[in-house]
Amino acid sequence: MTPVEQAFSSSGFLAKIIEGYSPRQPQIDMAVEVATAIEKQSCLIVEAGTGTGKTFAYLIPALLADKKVIVSTGTKNLQEQLFHKDIPLIRKALATNAKIALLKGRANYLCVYRLDQYKHSRGQLDAMSLSDFVNVQKWAVSTTTGDIGELVNVAEGSSVFPYITSTLDNCLAKDCPNYSDCYLIDARKKAIEADVIVVNHHLFFADMALKDTGFGELIPRADVVIFDEAHQIADIASEYFGEAFSTRQLLDLCSDVLKEYRTTLTDVKQLGKAAEKLQRTSQEFRLLFKHDPERGNWREKCKQQQFSQAFLAIKTDLDFLYQVIKLCISRNEAIDNCFDRAVTLLSKYDVMVNTEAFGMSFWYETTRRHVVLHQTPLSVSEKFSAYVASSNAGWIFTSATLAVNEQFKHFSQQLGLENSAQLLLDSPFDYQLQSQLVVPRYLPAANDKGRAAALVNLAKPLIEASKGACFMLFTSYRMMNQVAELLAEDVDNPLLIQGQMGKHKLLSEFVERPDAVLLATASFWEGVDVRGHKLTCVIIDKLPFASPDDPLLQARSEDVKRQGGDPFTEIQLPQAVIALKQGVGRLIRDVSDKGVLVICDDRLVNRPYGEVFLKSLPNMQRSRDLDQAVRFLKQINVSDTNKREL
Amino acid sequence: MQQTQVMFYILQDDKTQKSDATSDNDKNRLFHQACLQAARFYRQNQRIFIYTHDQASAHDIDEMLWAFDANSFVPHNLPGEGTNYGAAVEISWQAPTNRRSVLINLTSTVPNFANKFSHIIDFVPTDETLKQQARVRFSTCRKWGFAVETQPASAVQESVESHS
Repeated sequence: MTPVEQAFSSSGFLAKIIEGYSPRQPQIDMAVEVATAIEKQSCLIVEAGTGTGKTFAYLIPALLADKKVIVSTGTKNLQEQLFHKDIPLIRKALATNAKIALLKGRANYLCVYRLDQYKHSRGQLDAMSLSDFVNVQKWAVSTTTGDIGELVNVAEGSSVFPYITSTLDNCLAKDCPNYSDCYLIDARKKAIEADVIVVNHHLFFADMALKDTGFGELIPRADVVIFDEAHQIADIASEYFGEAFSTRQLLDLCSDVLKEYRTTLTDVKQLGKAAEKLQRTSQEFRLLFKHDPERGNWREKCKQQQFSQAFLAIKTDLDFLYQVIKLCISRNEAIDNCFDRAVTLLSKYDVMVNTEAFGMSFWYETTRRHVVLHQTPLSVSEKFSAYVASSNAGWIFTSATLAVNEQFKHFSQQLGLENSAQLLLDSPFDYQLQSQLVVPRYLPAANDKGRAAALVNLAKPLIEASKGACFMLFTSYRMMNQVAELLAEDVDNPLLIQGQMGKHKLLSEFVERPDAVLLATASFWEGVDVRGHKLTCVIIDKLPFASPDDPLLQARSEDVKRQGGDPFTEIQLPQAVIALKQGVGRLIRDVSDKGVLVICDDRLVNRPYGEVFLKSLPNMQRSRDLDQAVRFLKQINVSDTNKREL
Repeated sequence: MQQTQVMFYILQDDKTQKSDATSDNDKNRLFHQACLQAARFYRQNQRIFIYTHDQASAHDIDEMLWAFDANSFVPHNLPGEGTNYGAAVEISWQAPTNRRSVLINLTSTVPNFANKFSHIIDFVPTDETLKQQARVRFSTCRKWGFAVETQPASAVQESVESHS
């Protein structure tokens, strides 16, 4: 028996720390494969269905190997869970002294310099911001990590955070007077010294693509790299291997330049003029786009004269600002930093002008105030696989949702990992008993006027049977709002609607109010974890195919067509399958969880590709009869009450 | 036009079932056979029409096909669902509205649109009354000049299951 098998055996480490532990073969299979990949420095792709125990299955061999390990996961919450719960438990079980470190993104750490600046320069604050600021100041004296996650008495989206944390742009790095007590530097140092580092995918790829300076030294030292929630990494990698140029960066630069002009460099009149000019042209550029936030194809947009002219004006004004700042170099750190940023922005500008670049998608997205231009590579497979091949490390990619139609082709092609070892482990849950998948009959077509009313009619008995504890997910805000309006008249359950408050707040409200119904758009689902009877019914209005208007999807589709492939089966279908699998995983998280998934889209039944969805999803009990779902939900509630009475 | 081919499948008495549930079991076996036939023709790229006595039966077939093993998935629709062109399999208690090659008849008579199909699948149940109705359908088909044959249903089941 290998040490890994020993650890999972009925007399092993796990049995000693987990009461009632019994070995499970799929978990052991995964652990053994992970150990092999680590030893041979090879790649392994594992789909481990919900409940397999994949976290232990990768942590134990990784820690037993006594090597430098990076674990990267999807969200901050999952990072914290690994760092504060799972790893300490394994460390205790294996009785090792391995050093662990948690590293988050820059925006999570207090910037002492900026806090100090803000103390002196802040204007009048409203009551909320003032109380937040007071709380921050109190905490800042006592914290040892500078991790703003510790600030429990300041709301997640508080407007104070941008002033007390740094961005890559405004960080003074080595020139900073507070360099020696920088929390970010400190966290990175700890990470480099640690045996096991817990990061998230954004941080990992920022490091890999050298998108954050003074970094890029983390991954080369790793012997083992483990991605949990690996289904997300292809998209995140594309983001970091691409470039972005935003009017926000321009305006931030202008405001920092103006700050210097008004305080220390008052003699350089041109500085003020140049910054104000660029400010105006940046704002005018935003005004050319539609008022409502949108995404679109930049390659096409920039061919229109009004856009190309306004974009050229930015170049002229940015160039002018650059010339003026250049005259002030070495007068102080802040203006030197502004100079560096102007240089970077000029080079990014050139990227966005050169829209004929091959293998790239050029797209824009607008927010209420800003425009962001993106250049995104259509594929990261070459870059990523080359990196993996030269790393001398073992790479593990795992998630509950990687396979489509029982194959890993979609995932492995995106990342150039076609030659990896593969393992597919079924969930130990009994989906036939625990869950139902219902596609209601005679639904009005997607564009039918009566669609919202029909959705409300079918939702009502479900909501009643499940006594709330229900998600309704939509592919458009329009449909979500229509249904919300109608539903509010018809049911007494509290309705929580995306946009009413922040995502975090919305979810905690949902958990606190067992009879609540949450209405949100489909993307809301990713990363949401609501355990047990807090969620028993999920109603989805349409299969989660990405919008064909999405510029990145369009570019990738074009590329697939050029290579003679079918974009629908190669891109859209696998994406939608993974999204739906994610959803089922959120509904049934435990052996005792029960729930109903209602998909109001009969394409699942009447199109040939329904087969791909069914083969990829867990084998839930299927029905087309809403009454079946209602009965099932009522039963859940009855057995629940019985349990409580016992 | 090509001569319509009709196959009557003879359902076998299931000795293992208790007699009091016979009529329900009969119906279930009949519907299951119909679904297997639909799956078989779907895999041969045929377009199929399943004609039922009433809406409730159409829903039963719909439910059964939807719950079929994912490896034998059969895309199907009820009248009014899906595109105008319809899915590969349409289940209805009303006359068909688009052209299809295979008719699976689950009603007690031969529908008057039967000659529009190149293949017809029908069944001979074990219940005496139903068997009698099937005999009448058999002779109607002959009368209309179709090429009619019979075959035990068990043979089909085996071939479909080994196929999937």
